[in-house]
This record gives sequence, structure tokens and C-alpha cells, in this order.
Amino acid sequence: MATSLRELVAVPTQRVLTGALALIFLFPLVWAAVASVAPQPGTAQVDGWGMGNYARLAGYQAGLAQYLLNSVLISGMTVIFTLAVSLLGGYAFAMFSFPGKNLLFLATLAILMVPYATLLIPLYVLLNRLGLQNSLVGLALVLTMFQLPFATFMMRISFESIPRELAESAYVDGCGTFTALLRILVPAVKPGLITVGLFAFLAAWNDFIAPLILINDSDKVPLPLAVANIRGQVMGVVDYGATEAGVVVLALPCVVLFLLLQRHYVRGFMSGALKG
Amino acid sequence: MKRWTVARGLRRAVGAVAAASLLIGVAACGGDADQQAGGEASAAANPEGIDDGTKLTLWTRAPLEAQAKALVQAYNSSHKNQVELTITPNDDYVTRVGAAAGSGNLPDLFAADIVYVPNWTEQGLFADITSRIDTLPNAAEINQGHLAAGTYEDKKYVLPFVLDLSVIFYNKKLYQEAGLDPAKGPTTLAEFKEHALAIQKLKKPGVYGTYFGGNCGGCGVFTWFPMIWASGEQPMNEDGTASNLNGAAAKEVYTMWRELVQAGAVAPASKEETGATWVGDFQQGKVGVMPYPATLLATADKSVEVGVTPIPGVNGGQSTFIGGDGIGISKDSKVTDQAWNFMSWLMSDAAQVEVLAKTNSTVARNDLVENKYATDPRVKIINQVASAPDSHTPVARNFQQAFNAAGSPWVTLFRNAVFGDGSSVDADNEAITEVLGQQ
Amino acid sequence: MATPVERRTEVPSAAPTSTIPEPAARRRVSGLSRRRRNQGWLYAAPTALFVTVFFLVPVLLVIQMSLSDWGLFAGNRGLNAPDNYTDALSNRLFWPAVWFTVKYTIITTVILIGIALGLALLVQEVVRWNSFLRTAFLVPSALGLASASLLFYALYAPQSGPFAQLLTALGIGDGTVSFLGSPNAALWSTVAVIVWRFAGFYMLLLLVGLQSISSDVYEAARVDGANRWQTFTNVTLPLLKSSLALCTILCITGSLLAFDQFYILTRGGPDNSTVTIVQLVYNTAFGGRNDLGVAAALSLVVLLALIVINAAQFRALRGKED
Repeated sequence: MATSLRELVAVPTQRVLTGALALIFLFPLVWAAVASVAPQPGTAQVDGWGMGNYARLAGYQAGLAQYLLNSVLISGMTVIFTLAVSLLGGYAFAMFSFPGKNLLFLATLAILMVPYATLLIPLYVLLNRLGLQNSLVGLALVLTMFQLPFATFMMRISFESIPRELAESAYVDGCGTFTALLRILVPAVKPGLITVGLFAFLAAWNDFIAPLILINDSDKVPLPLAVANIRGQVMGVVDYGATEAGVVVLALPCVVLFLLLQRHYVRGFMSGALKG
Repeated sequence: MKRWTVARGLRRAVGAVAAASLLIGVAACGGDADQQAGGEASAAANPEGIDDGTKLTLWTRAPLEAQAKALVQAYNSSHKNQVELTITPNDDYVTRVGAAAGSGNLPDLFAADIVYVPNWTEQGLFADITSRIDTLPNAAEINQGHLAAGTYEDKKYVLPFVLDLSVIFYNKKLYQEAGLDPAKGPTTLAEFKEHALAIQKLKKPGVYGTYFGGNCGGCGVFTWFPMIWASGEQPMNEDGTASNLNGAAAKEVYTMWRELVQAGAVAPASKEETGATWVGDFQQGKVGVMPYPATLLATADKSVEVGVTPIPGVNGGQSTFIGGDGIGISKDSKVTDQAWNFMSWLMSDAAQVEVLAKTNSTVARNDLVENKYATDPRVKIINQVASAPDSHTPVARNFQQAFNAAGSPWVTLFRNAVFGDGSSVDADNEAITEVLGQQ
Repeated sequence: MATPVERRTEVPSAAPTSTIPEPAARRRVSGLSRRRRNQGWLYAAPTALFVTVFFLVPVLLVIQMSLSDWGLFAGNRGLNAPDNYTDALSNRLFWPAVWFTVKYTIITTVILIGIALGLALLVQEVVRWNSFLRTAFLVPSALGLASASLLFYALYAPQSGPFAQLLTALGIGDGTVSFLGSPNAALWSTVAVIVWRFAGFYMLLLLVGLQSISSDVYEAARVDGANRWQTFTNVTLPLLKSSLALCTILCITGSLLAFDQFYILTRGGPDNSTVTIVQLVYNTAFGGRNDLGVAAALSLVVLLALIVINAAQFRALRGKED
């Protein structure tokens, strides 16, 4: 009797407390969404509720649409490059043996050891020399490189976890390695591909310091940079309303993607460890 | 058989990619086409530049937004060329321009805080426009301070864009309420202190005697250098390589501000003010008297009854910091003739009188000081102090790092002097000299 | 830039049965292996290209730059070793930046790992309510660091922000509370942003470790009469060591390289009190000094420090795991 009474009280209390904790974590995002349409002095939405802040964001300099397009292009290219390179690379490392294989793999992982800041300055000079300065393509190539360690590793273990029978059966009947890859193996590593793609997208969409240094034209900057700039536009007063609207636009795709693909995000961690 | 074809196809693809990347590598190692030679020829042929519907890009910093927008709008509506304006927050401007310059991506035109102009001119960021300036009909009347800042080895690179002078703004209504004469601002440092204390005595909620950019190096030089000049002292040596900010007059300036802070007459937000919002409070009627940028006269007038007087020194006198921005054609521009069209229009009556003077901004040509819009006596005061003998534009190669940069030794000096006890002024001054003297 | 824990999944070791007679099989295997070797190279070629062009070349370049007089506009003007290094180390902001970065790293790591551990312990049971909690804690991870910083920049607004209004309503402060206006406030406000953004992520890493502890061990502890605290310190913690170590390494590395959040929230102010090493590198390269050589030297110093610190951590890890 006593135990179940304690349980009757303990569980709801625990629910309330942990629920409050969850609310604390969710509060900033919810607040940003609400505040971006709420009245606030010193913004474009002074009286009453409405989309004034978004309107200002939309019309700011090159326009929200342009910045969104830039972000989409950069992220899209990064995802495509990353998937392509890591798919082929993971395949190579997992299924073939060739001289220099371990060296190359180590070199790829070594990218993790060298900090962003150390590489961005020579990359700035290098892109200038390659004629890729101030270009979305150049930025996407750099972001892809930073994704390679995780992506290649992920694809390698995805390929390695394919049952050997499936792999062998792919090469029977005179299938070339490429056809085998496309028809049979890629579907088998699809979860890995989704995880790699998701991480690449999130990293590219949210990157700040690389475009800060590598992109110069103000109409080629991606969204985070544009939102950071819009704060100090009105002389004397910081426009918090536009900042909040910008954060909502920035965060929305990421949060939606995350919630939809949460399983893939988490699976990469949990696989092999979760029991029951 | 199928295996071979696929493998060969793969190999071919890889080969193509390798070839392509080699091509990219070879292609745009493109050096900057040297336009200086061609520039000279077309300068002679087109003294006003070419107006053929080209799109021109122009960068400026946020503090001059109002004037920049007005000028660009006026130009765009009367010319075929169209200028696309990009406004960058003040703090980001230097790094933004630096990164763009390093990769050859500067816009066609860009403005620069006049105190950075010597540095950027020396580093070759601007195109040489000496011959173009010399063909201007009113070349002799252009503000010499700005022209000199943009002159390097006898070649001229920069024209004045927007002149920004520092003057004392005071709130006439608050003056009246405090029993001060609303027609007269302070004429000595002592009076300034007196007036600020009087406003503070009103004890109106949210209202303070004065305000300043307590963490803003640029605001500090803009507003306090004139106090030092008007007292007959020089903040730096002749060539801007050594600092004299521990001079007697300078110390008196710091002492006055320290006493104001201790008396509670300075708004508390001043202490952390990095410059982003240092002009906001006055426009909201919350500040009695403070040194202020003259370019904001029209803006401030919308919400406050503004009185204007020149910045005084310890015992009187008057001076101003002839600041603002200079504008030049960048080294990366490929349409220098069209860009020059904008610059030459900038010096014309249409721009100087019909846009700048009309909005109570200071004109860059000495022959236009008396113009049909200069009826406001306050504008007359501003125009006249620009040519006062003690008014200067300081020139130093490392000005930005010594004074304007976040956390510069200048900021350290005056923060210690005003919020501390002022004992480290000499040591802090040494730090400024060190930065100024760097190669 | 955080990477999740990488676990190699077991490769099934079933050997394929071959029905091809021996000599023919051997002939076929050797021809196959040479072809496959070449094809292996082809598939790895894009990776090799990226790694060489965008990683190895820049590393060599940054070393060269750190030894040369390399201005932002002037370009390479020849070797000048070791001037760049002495310039970098004698910069009046160098040691304050190092000190601040280290201070920030220690504070962030301790708080973040502590909170993440607490959250992980809270939600480790596989219950519906817990999966809602897990999602709630993880949602901030979807945001980029820059977005999170911008969000909190608005939250910390001095008069119109909700925190400021809350404090005023509670009567704390004199109406001009400033979250980013003083060195300490700026530091702790930034730590708050990082904790919010990363707690869920590290919680996830620790959950993986927690779930690998079999329930038999807990059973044995309970039978031995251990209470909750004793179980935690003597059973859970030791078995979590490698997960904790991984989290610590990631957190330390990430904090030492902090840039985005400080650039957006404080720009290194007030009074240069929140300048991190990477911010110093950025300012040296593009902000007035315009010296890429010195910036390169600084960034190599950072790399060296990281290698030393990570090596030390690995050694400590291995020592403990004996």
C-alpha cells in the first residue's frame, strides 16, 4: 500500500519537474516564434501582431529570397558532393584493398585534428588562386571537405556491415563493381546515406565563419550571415524583431528536418549499443 | 565484357574531372588586368565619366545610411547608371573590406571612414584618380582635409563622400526646464560640466545630463579630440606615429568626464556603449547635452528641439573633428569610367546642394557653404566650424588599430581615466604610441 | 563541429562457399584482385582529390605562410621566420586571449558534461515520456551555433528581452540589467547559450554509454546492498569512463576553438574581455593588421596546443583504462 501511494505521488511530481525542464529547453525557440510576430518598440512591428518583421527581413538589401536561395544552393551542393565522394570512398575502403588505402583513410580522418581556423586562412588564399573565391561552389567544396571524415567513416562502416552473402552475390553474373554498387549495395546502405546527408545539410546550412571569410559579395551570403548583419541597420537602435524573424526562418528547416529524420540522427549513435 | 566497359567509363570520368580541375587551376590565376594605363586615356576623354546604364556596386557603413541612401536615390533617378547600395554595420566594415580586397572582390565604389583612408590608400585599395580630380571644374574648392587623407605619394585616390563633423547638441526643452538659457550651449568645458549637472538635478526618470560611447574608440576620438584641439593641444605628433594623449589639456578632459560619471550625470548605459547605439538616447529626449555627429541634425530634429554649438576646449575656443567618409573607386572595379560618373556627380551642385545641403548635411565644397538651404543658423554654425583653424582630420597610418578597433589602447586609456582613477594615463599613452609606430 | 561516436558494427564472418575448382578459382582471384585494386583506387580517387587539394595543400600552405611575410593585400613577400611567431606571441592580446579561452573551456566542459550526465540519467529508461523528453532536449541541436547565438542575442536584449523584463518584474537590478555588458555577465551568458545548444547532444552520447551497461551489473550491486549514490559512483561512473572521456575531448576541443558565439554575442568585448584565440586569428588576418603570415603563425600555435592537449588526454585515458 505505502509503496504504491508513494508511486502515485512520485510519478506525477517527476513528470511535472522533468516537464518543466523540457519546457526550459523548448522555451527559447517558442519565444522566438512568438516574439517575431508580437509588437515591440524599435522594430518594424510596433503596434499589434503581424508579419512586419518578416516583411522587413524579406526586403532587406538583396531580399530574403536571395539569401534563402544562397543557403539552399550551398547546402544542396555540399550534400551532393559529400554523398557522392563518401559513397564512392566508403565503398573503396570497405570493399577493396589497394596500396595506400590506410594512409588515405588516416589522412581523411586527420582533417578532424586540424582546427577550422587553421585551415580557413590558407583556403582563402588557395580559393583565390583557383579562381573560386567569392563563389558558392568554392564554399561548398570547402564545406564538403570538412564533412569528409565523418561521412567517409560512416559510409565505410555501413558498407562493412552489409552481410557478405549480399555483397558476394552482387558480383556474380558478371556485374561490374559499379553496377553492383548502384543496384544492390546503395539500397543496402541507404540509412547511412541519409545520416550523412542530414549531417552535411545541417552543417552547411548553419556554417558561419567559412562564408564570413570566403564570400564577399553581399548578395551571395547565406542566411546566417545576412541575419547577423540585419541587427545593426537602423541607426541607434538594434532591430531585435528582425533578428527574431531571421532566427525563425533559419531554424525552421533544421527543426523540421530534425524531427522528421530524428530516427536517423539518433540511429547513428544508438546502433550497436541499444539493447531492447 | 560489361565489366571492362564500365571500368573504362569510370576511368574516363575520373580523367575528365582531373582535367577539369587542372583547367580551373590554370584559368583564373588571372592577375588583375592593369587598368591604370587605360584609365588615364579615358579620363581625359570623359571628364564626367560614362553614363550608359551600367550597374555599379557601392559599399558604405551604417552610420551614414541616411545620406548614402539619399545620394544614391538622387543619382539613380537622374542617370542611366544604377547604383546598388550595400550598408554594413560599422564594426564589420573593416574586416568585410579586408576579406574582399584580399580576394579581388571589392565593389566598384566604396566609402571608408576618413581615418582609415590613409591606410587603405597606402595599401592600394583605391584606384588612382589624380588626373580625373584635376579635370573637375571645382577641384580647388573640395575639402582639403579629406583630399589630403586620400593622397599618397602625390597621387589622389579619394573624394569626400559625407562630411561628418562633431558638435555639441543640447536639448532645448530640458535646458529650459533646468533654468539654463536654451539659446546658448556651453562655451567652455567647465560650462559643459555645469549644464550636464543642472540637467541631472532635474531627476527626471530615465533622463541624464550627458551620454558618451564609454566603450567606443571611434566615438571617443570624434568627440574628445576637438576638446583637446580647441585647448591648443595636439593629440598626436605630426606624422601620426606617437601619441600625446597624456597632455595637460587631455588630462583635464578626462578629469571632467570622470567627475561627471562620479556625480551620476552620465547615463549608466554609457559605460558599455560600443557605439552601436550611442546616439539613440538623445533622440529619445533622454540626454541633456552631449557631443554629437552633425549629420544627424535632421534626424534628431524630428523628435527633439536641438540646439547646436561648437565643441569648446578647456578655456573656450572651438573645434571639430572633420570626419565622415571618403569615397573612391576600388582597384577591382572593371567599370571605372562609369564609377567616375557617380563620383563626379557627387561633387556637382546637384548632389552637394540639392541633396546634402537640403537635408542639413555639411557640403564638401567650400564655395557652397553659403547655399540657398543654409538658412538654419545651426547649419551655419556647423559649416563655419568646419573651417575653423583648430578643426582637423587626424592622419595616421595605424589610426584604426590605435583608436577605433574594439579594445584598442585608446579605449583602455580613456576607460581607465574616466571609470577608474586616472592614474594609468601615462602608461596607457605609451601603449598607443607603440601601436601608432608599428610598421 | 562535433562528430558523433563512431561504433564499428560487427561484420558477419561467414565465409562464402565456393563451387569453382581450385586452380581456376586462384587464377580468377588474382586477375580479379588486380582489377579490383585499380578500381579501388578509382573509387577512392574523389576522396583523394578532396583530401589533397582542400586539406593537404592548405596545411602545407599555412606552414609556408607562417614563415613568410604575407600581407592580406600585398601577398607573399618572402620568408621571414621566425618573425611571425614572435609577433604573434608578443601581441598584447595574445596571453589574455589564451587565458580567457582556457577559462571558458574549463567552465563550459565541467558544466556541460555535468548537465548532460544528469539529463542522460534522467531519461535512460525506455519509456514514452522519456522519449518526449529526449526529443525536447535534442531539438536545440538542430540549430546551428550561429542561429543559437542570434536567438540568445535577442533573448538578452537589455530592455525588450524576456529575461530583462522578468528581472525587472521581479525587482532585481536597477532597470538596466545587461547580460552582455560586463566581462563576467558576457562569459556566463555565452556559457548558457552553449549549454542550451549542446546539452542534448552530449546527453545522447552518454545515453549510448549508459545503455551499454548491462542490467546484470546493477542487479549485482543491488544484491550487495549498495544504495543509489554508491551504485552511481562505484558502478555507473567507472563503466561510463570511455563515453565521458569522448565527451570531454569533444567539448574541450570545441571550446578551445570557440568563435561563432562570441563574434555574434560580444564581438570580443566588452574591453576585449571575451576575445578567444580564433577571434584573434580572424582579427589579425582581416581586421586592420591585415597580416596573413602572423595569423597563420597564430593558427599553427593553436593547432600545436590542440595536439598536445589531445595527446595528453588520450594518455590519461589509456592510463585510467588499465
